[in-house]
Amino acid sequence: MSDGDADTDDGDDESVLSVRNLRSGYGETEVLRGVSFDVGEGEVVALVGRNGVGKTTTLRTITGAIAPRGGEVRHRGRSIGGLGPTETAKLGIGLVPEERRVFPGLTVEENLQAGATGGATGDALERSVEEVLSTFENLADRRDNRGADLSGGEQQMLAVGRALTAGADLLLLDEPTEGLAPLVVDRVVEAVRAINDDGVTVLLVEQNVAVALELADRVVVMDDGEVAHGAPAAELREDSAVLDRHLGVTLD
Amino acid sequence: MSADDASGTGAGTDRESDAVLATEALTKRFGELTAVDGVDLRVERGEFRSVIGPNGAGKTTLFDLITGAQRPTSGSVRFDGEDVTALAPHERVRRGLGRSFQITTVFSGLTVRENVRLAAQSVHDASISRVDRFLRPKGSFEAIAADTTATLKRVELADRTEERAGALAYGDRRRLEIGLVLATDPAVVLLDEPTAGMSAEETAATMQLIDEVLADRTLVLIEHDVDLVLEVSDRITVLDRGRVLTTGSPEAVADDGDVQRAYLGGDRG
Amino acid sequence: MVVEALVDQLLNGLTIGVVYVLLAAGLSIVFGVMDVINFAHGELYALGAYFAFSVTTAAGDPNAFWVALLLAPAAVAVVGVGVERLTIRPLYGRNPLYHILLTFGLVLILKDVVEFVWGPGNKSYPVTPGVLQGQVAVAGFDFPRYSLFVIAVGSLMAAGTWYALNDTRVGLVVRAGAQDREMVRHLGIEVDRYYTLVFAFGAALAGLAGVVLAGRNGLEVAMGDSVIIPAFVIVVLGGLGSFRGAVVGGLVVGVVQTLTRSGVVAEVFAPVPVVGELAALLPALEGLVVFGLMIAVLLFRPRGLFGNPEWQSSEGEGDLLVGGGGALGSVWRRRLALGAVALLIVAPFGVGLAYDGFVVYSLLVSILVWALFAVSLDLVMGYAGLVSLGHVLFYGVGAYGTVLAADGRVTDLVAAVPAVGSPLAAGLGALGYADSLPLALLTGVAAAAAVAWVVGYLSIRVAGVYFAMITLGFAELFRQVVVKLPASWAGSTDGLYGAELSYSVAGVSLGEVGDVVLVEGVAAGPVVLAREVRLLYFVVLAGVLGGYLLARRVIEAPFGGVLTAIRESEARAQFLGYNVVAHKRRVFVLSGALAALAGGLQAVTGLVVGVGPSLLHWINSGEVIVMAVLGGMGTLYGPILGAAVFRGGQELLSTYTGQWRALLGLVFVLFVVFLPRGIVSLPGELQRRLRERGGDPPTGAPAETPAEPKLEGDD
Repeated sequence: MSDGDADTDDGDDESVLSVRNLRSGYGETEVLRGVSFDVGEGEVVALVGRNGVGKTTTLRTITGAIAPRGGEVRHRGRSIGGLGPTETAKLGIGLVPEERRVFPGLTVEENLQAGATGGATGDALERSVEEVLSTFENLADRRDNRGADLSGGEQQMLAVGRALTAGADLLLLDEPTEGLAPLVVDRVVEAVRAINDDGVTVLLVEQNVAVALELADRVVVMDDGEVAHGAPAAELREDSAVLDRHLGVTLD
Repeated sequence: MSADDASGTGAGTDRESDAVLATEALTKRFGELTAVDGVDLRVERGEFRSVIGPNGAGKTTLFDLITGAQRPTSGSVRFDGEDVTALAPHERVRRGLGRSFQITTVFSGLTVRENVRLAAQSVHDASISRVDRFLRPKGSFEAIAADTTATLKRVELADRTEERAGALAYGDRRRLEIGLVLATDPAVVLLDEPTAGMSAEETAATMQLIDEVLADRTLVLIEHDVDLVLEVSDRITVLDRGRVLTTGSPEAVADDGDVQRAYLGGDRG
Repeated sequence: MVVEALVDQLLNGLTIGVVYVLLAAGLSIVFGVMDVINFAHGELYALGAYFAFSVTTAAGDPNAFWVALLLAPAAVAVVGVGVERLTIRPLYGRNPLYHILLTFGLVLILKDVVEFVWGPGNKSYPVTPGVLQGQVAVAGFDFPRYSLFVIAVGSLMAAGTWYALNDTRVGLVVRAGAQDREMVRHLGIEVDRYYTLVFAFGAALAGLAGVVLAGRNGLEVAMGDSVIIPAFVIVVLGGLGSFRGAVVGGLVVGVVQTLTRSGVVAEVFAPVPVVGELAALLPALEGLVVFGLMIAVLLFRPRGLFGNPEWQSSEGEGDLLVGGGGALGSVWRRRLALGAVALLIVAPFGVGLAYDGFVVYSLLVSILVWALFAVSLDLVMGYAGLVSLGHVLFYGVGAYGTVLAADGRVTDLVAAVPAVGSPLAAGLGALGYADSLPLALLTGVAAAAAVAWVVGYLSIRVAGVYFAMITLGFAELFRQVVVKLPASWAGSTDGLYGAELSYSVAGVSLGEVGDVVLVEGVAAGPVVLAREVRLLYFVVLAGVLGGYLLARRVIEAPFGGVLTAIRESEARAQFLGYNVVAHKRRVFVLSGALAALAGGLQAVTGLVVGVGPSLLHWINSGEVIVMAVLGGMGTLYGPILGAAVFRGGQELLSTYTGQWRALLGLVFVLFVVFLPRGIVSLPGELQRRLRERGGDPPTGAPAETPAEPKLEGDD
């Protein structure tokens, strides 16, 4: 997917998302101690790192679920540091959280309608419920099933679809492959790729390094609340030392 | 199951007597999802065992089943030869099964000393008379106070005893957490990602601390950091999607192709 | 004839049931979406009726009723918007139990506002439209038109609500929000606006229920009280947050309540042997059946009959905030406490010149008794994190136990036990049991401890809001038992008064409780310089101080250490090897015993020794919670301050206005919103604010502040 770079001529100025020196945490614990990275238009960027280094916190701070304690988050050039989750969602930043969090008591269709009810105002990328259902065929088959009755993979698709009906053009995916069987992982990977081909920018938190390297144009390695390394995915596939140091995995 | 691939041979009864902690066909289902699927784990006395596996492999659920935080759907847990499957968590702790938490859980509103004192009190609880328990000032029990002080020294918090635990720096809070475990004097300690969110330096310091203060206990460690695990463990159990993929020495596990695949997901890499 | 009576009562039951449905639906939806248990729901119902009363009275035209039917619920909705925006909104993200506390304060305010605006006394609409009057014949039976109208309105609203929830965009967001509030925000939906809408809608439903039922039953200031408890029962039965449960539960409770009360069931079954005799008991058991059902459901199916586990979110499970500001050093605290005790000891001796006997023998005694009651509550609420909404149960058992022992009924009861009964009774007689104040108090305390053990054993397995509900259920059950049993058992509605007690054990006596005087009064001619000083005051003081010191001692012992640990983190306490449930049960028993001592002292300090069922009213459970929170829970001394401020404030304010509860309620609401750690945290908060205003960087130790330089003192 490295040809995604072709869409943007000059990286940083045209960033969909630009995070600078971001600090954040919970209560008395500081989790992010100055995180900086960019996500360009049409890119897939993966945040990787060991458990507890602050990947999910980064996503939560971008969406405004947690207030930043310092630094800056810019979305298409505009500072969104003080905004809450509702406002960022309206700007087209869609969160697909850990464990998907589909509405368990609503049907597939109602879940998607809930997305369509809120969402970004007047965005060209906003998809109708029917469009999403035609993209994810397996969801269309289960449109009257309750969210709770779906399999993990179906829930993942539904959570992505729900963000799309809410008009997201920047998708924040938190651990999309967690707990899924390899075959289902493949399907999620394909879906994310298809959405990206459609013009949606993706920021991905992924524990599964192989998935991250496969999907992403660029990989941002986090360690200890900071960015330890950032590089094109292709480069990292060659440079196993970085992965070894920060993730404790060795690629053969 | 391939649980005992690398544990050598020997008659079942022999191994039974050595295993301080054992699970048999331990299974936990949540609706459609089987989080822990027929796990046979056998931890020998004095061993340092690590349990690794990708996210969602069922490591924390397995810990919850062993400590009693969750009830298994089927299967059993044996500790020190006794079937503890039906026991409540606090009863398992009293028998010597300690646990630390993935997210540091200390009593943040209480002082460092009171935190450790509460842990030490638990050990002496049975010997406190009924009247004393309800009416004697809690600070006046000499044995508990001595244990408290000793533990505070061992985890190097002796100079911050009157600080509120919630106000401690992250690394200090981790130390306190380990102090809490230590003070309950467990025979087996289950450590749930004790170095999560730490820098390489802090990780090394914490592992050294664990090595120092808990070396004489049986340790079971959940960890993501494969390098760390390879370094400290006697044996490693690899979980994947609720099942035991393999158990063996660090060398054997490091060379195992299945493990690489499980860690890197499907057939990628 | 029997069939007609049965149909009649069924219709009555359905009419009440439909009103319950309207009430419970609002209560349930508000809980489902916002996790708010709204105690003030009954007052919104009353407001609806009173608004309609104003409209119909002002217009004087029968058809004004139709206007009122629209206008009054709308006005209640506006009140609901105000309540949600101003008081409930600041509490989102805190422990849901704070909403119970807050809305209880709102009950105090709204009830007095109604009384202030519309005056006490029963009322009814001057006229209702002719079309709603009289009877209509259907299938050979005569039905009151008004009942049919109520049923029609209720059914229409229930159906409309069902449609709105399931088939509209707004309903979709409301349901989604009930399941995962945070996620709804992430979809760009301003869920807070929906909260206001939902609360206003619930308020309007309650208001409508008030409008229509008042047309049948009339209006009174306490009308909210009489429906709120049944409404809770229904919501709990049907499942908190379940609309379907509210509908089914409302109809069932309405019909069951009416049928059992009316005696028509007894008539139907009268010819059948055994069953007929049992059915004849039903009218007496009405309240028991309903509360018994509620407790059983909570114990065995805490989510209710229709509860949907997914229709429950638990966002914002904050901690209960305990008191303590740290402004006063422990030495100064001790000096203040000793000073206060010294003042209390000398207080009776100054009577005459500075103040009259009422201050000491009524106000101070009342403060002391409530202080002990509040301390007992603090043990479970502030230390074990259990919000008991039915603590009046133990207070009441203590009072009733004491009085029953004093008037000889306990001895009679013992004597009635076969074989061992009469020797035991003789033994009690030898101890002078029936006259003995200490033994009577002891009886109450022992009885309450036993009851607390049983209630604790049953209820502590359910947590949070459910525990609050189940304790409320037990307390109401006990009140029903007392009221419904024949007067020969526990005095029924009249209460038990006039027993005599002495300071005596086993024949050694200091004299009658009312008569023992320590110091005779002094008078200079017509001017009373000092009134007599009675022993009873010191007995109360000793009892309360003793109770407080015992509680403090226990908190400072190993047992109390574990309680504090449980409050901080239940999971951690458990994994240190402590049996969390057992500790909670034990402290619940201790708390029940102390509450009973307070109740017993209350019973013996009146003009005559005695107790009546009004002591068991749930509002007393609420007031004691108000005191504990007002003072600062989790400190033991805070609730004492709270009791003094509440009772003292009551005394002071009630000389100026009959609406003192509203003012105290307002103070309480302000505390819950702005100073949830109570009065004891005030000095610390003030210091912090002053420091911030002064621009100094906040420092850890509140050592030197210009405002109160001496407070830290010599520790």
